[in-house]
Amino acid sequence: MRLSVHRDRCEGYGLCVDEASSLLHLDDDGELVLDAEEVEPELSGVAEAAVRVCPVAALTMD
Amino acid sequence: MTLTRTSHSEVDLFSDEVLVDPYPVYRDLRDRGGAVRLSALDVWAIPRYADVRRALADWAGFSSRGIALNEPVNRMLVGSVLASDPPFHDTLRAVLSARLGPRAVRPLQAEIAGRAERLVDELVERGSFDAVTDLAVAFPFSVVFDLIGIPDDARPKMLGWADATFTVFGPLNERTLGGLDAIGEMFGWLGTLQATDLKEGSMGRDIFRAADEGRIGRESCIPLLAAYTSAGLDTTINAIANAVHLLGTHPDQWDLVTADPGLVPSALNEVLRYDAPVQGFGRTVTGDIEIDGAPVRSGSQVLLLYGSGNRDERRYPEPDRFDVTRNPVDHLAFGYGTHACAGQALARLEAHAVLTALATRVRRFRVGEPVRHLNNVVRGLERLPVDGLELR
Ligand code: HEM
Ligand code: SF4
Repeated sequence: MRLSVHRDRCEGYGLCVDEASSLLHLDDDGELVLDAEEVEPELSGVAEAAVRVCPVAALTMD
Repeated sequence: MTLTRTSHSEVDLFSDEVLVDPYPVYRDLRDRGGAVRLSALDVWAIPRYADVRRALADWAGFSSRGIALNEPVNRMLVGSVLASDPPFHDTLRAVLSARLGPRAVRPLQAEIAGRAERLVDELVERGSFDAVTDLAVAFPFSVVFDLIGIPDDARPKMLGWADATFTVFGPLNERTLGGLDAIGEMFGWLGTLQATDLKEGSMGRDIFRAADEGRIGRESCIPLLAAYTSAGLDTTINAIANAVHLLGTHPDQWDLVTADPGLVPSALNEVLRYDAPVQGFGRTVTGDIEIDGAPVRSGSQVLLLYGSGNRDERRYPEPDRFDVTRNPVDHLAFGYGTHACAGQALARLEAHAVLTALATRVRRFRVGEPVRHLNNVVRGLERLPVDGLELR
């Protein structure tokens, strides 16, 4: 599964990071960085949680 | 052929009795179905969490041009960020989020925390105070006015204006009609403002700069300014008032917060879930659809009930229990998706600052009988006496 961030929507709330710190982080400027686009099956639950909490629906999984 | 069924309710969601305590009515609506026809209003209520979220995620299917439950106000809001759909919406929103997004407000944190500490120290010194006027109103006023940079002479009027801007989203009842006069007055005043009336470097001044630079049209300046002044006040005020009320009436929960002020963000999420300051907003359905088996025709008006979705037993176990450790990060109090609150980073910063200042100073406090403030959209308080402070 692939996790993607829609840059034009992401405003940097970082709520996704609280859910999935192994998959993404905010850099020093508060920009979201995806550490791995390809999500291992055992992390898919964590990735779904990140998608779920983003307040502006900027993360998607497919 | 699919089997369709239509649930109805005769309830007037905007009557005084329901506004005082809407939650039993919401539960009844949720039990009736995912979309319930409100016969009195010609509107579909959407009371369950999952359906509200789905609608908020689908701006094309649920247009914000029907944000209010009455046509005069929807017409008035044409061109505002709240009532516009993408792509125009996104142009306006970009101007706001450049100043309101988490990256932009993080540097304000120390200053806002300091202000909260000074205010709370002063109130603690007094020994008793009104948590609405002296804290919940006083604090966002002092923060937001300076940030927006609008002239001081508008302050006395602004509270009434901000309250009116929300109440008029309801159906054309007495409250809405009363609010319309106040709104007219507010837009009249805003319309007189020039860039130079707004403090240099302020968020308000930035709007005019965006127009100078051609990022937005001139005609968008006043609607954007209104988005700051109205959306940023009544909501935060009542979030803080509701927080003091809920934490004061649940001393065991307050004990948890004072023992570990790291719980403040979770406690705020629970306050926002439990008593959403914005109880609901409308949308216009743009195609024939079915919601939970109910046929909803193109052009229908729906009312997304954030306050009910937040108490949906299908989403939150024991939804009527106030639990500061629950941390319901996906609550609907800030909406979701395209129109998700653009000011939520600032709102959180303000509310965290106030609650942290209280939690690190006050071990126990007593709240007296609250007086509810009735507004078609906003759930909050008019007065909340606090005394019996025991300090840490
Ligand atoms: C606890 C406090 C707050 C609550 C509960 C709240 C709630 C909301 C909600 C529910 C929406 C979504 C509207 C929709 O679904 O159509 C919204 C949008 C908005 N809020 Fe807030 N708000 C708060 C604080 C603030 C503050 C402090 C500001 C600015 C200073 C602000 C500015 C806005 C703006 C500009 C929008 C429109 C966004 C858009 O349409 O894209 N809000 N707010
Ligand atoms: S929660 Fe959403 S907006 Fe926030 S950083 Fe993550 S993707 Fe971006």
